[in-house]
Amino acid sequence: MPLAATIGAGYNPQMPSVSQTIRVRVLFFGRLKEIAGCAEECLDFPATADIASLFAQYVSRFPLLQQYRSSIVVSRNQELVPWHSPLSSGDEVAFLPPVSGG
Amino acid sequence: MKRFMAQHAADLVQLVHEAIKPAAFVAHVRGSGDGAMVVFDGFVRDHSRNRQTLYLEYEAYEPMALAKMHEIAANIHEQFSVHAVAMVHRLGRLEIGETSVFIAISAPHRAAAFDACRYAIDTLKRVVPIWKKEYFEDGSVWADGEMPPVPSATPAPETAS
Repeated sequence: MPLAATIGAGYNPQMPSVSQTIRVRVLFFGRLKEIAGCAEECLDFPATADIASLFAQYVSRFPLLQQYRSSIVVSRNQELVPWHSPLSSGDEVAFLPPVSGG
Repeated sequence: MKRFMAQHAADLVQLVHEAIKPAAFVAHVRGSGDGAMVVFDGFVRDHSRNRQTLYLEYEAYEPMALAKMHEIAANIHEQFSVHAVAMVHRLGRLEIGETSVFIAISAPHRAAAFDACRYAIDTLKRVVPIWKKEYFEDGSVWADGEMPPVPSATPAPETAS
């Protein structure tokens, strides 16, 4: 079937526009994983959000996270980035406590 | 943005969940053009801040940890005149005395191997996303760690130091 014929054919007008929300994969490690009670989850989030506001949303669910905020670094797609970095759909975000390998 | 890091064919970088066998890594990096090898063997101590340690558990953000370890190896080749780098970290539960991290670096001359090995373990402990939990008779704690440096929003070109 030609692609053009399918565009809009199954469109459900009640679905939110893809431009309004994005889906990101969120990972927690170390003590943050214990506080959040999970290692990872997928989350739908406003497209205008940055990593800091994503974290703020988790703080509202798990207030204990806030006391570790100043010692956490964040990664987006496995690269360390500043807190106010924007997010795109499909991004993998991780909250990393101070590292202690070796 | 991910920087492309050239991987040297003779290097060996791994995360493992079973016992580390140092001999394999030593043999891997030893070349006929080398005159020296420096190894670092990090293993589990039986105490931490005056408490008796029972065992440790390590966890990692595995894909990112491997990428960071490869970055360290690539930086070593940029900064030091070495032949090959082997770097392995173990994850999961480790008993007292078991090796958690093993690094072997070969070079034509010893000075570069010493310097590179020191750089390798110091950098690994600072930037690689691995976490250690210490278990004691009366509970457990996440070890104090270091915050990896985060590049600024507009990264400057990286220069070898």
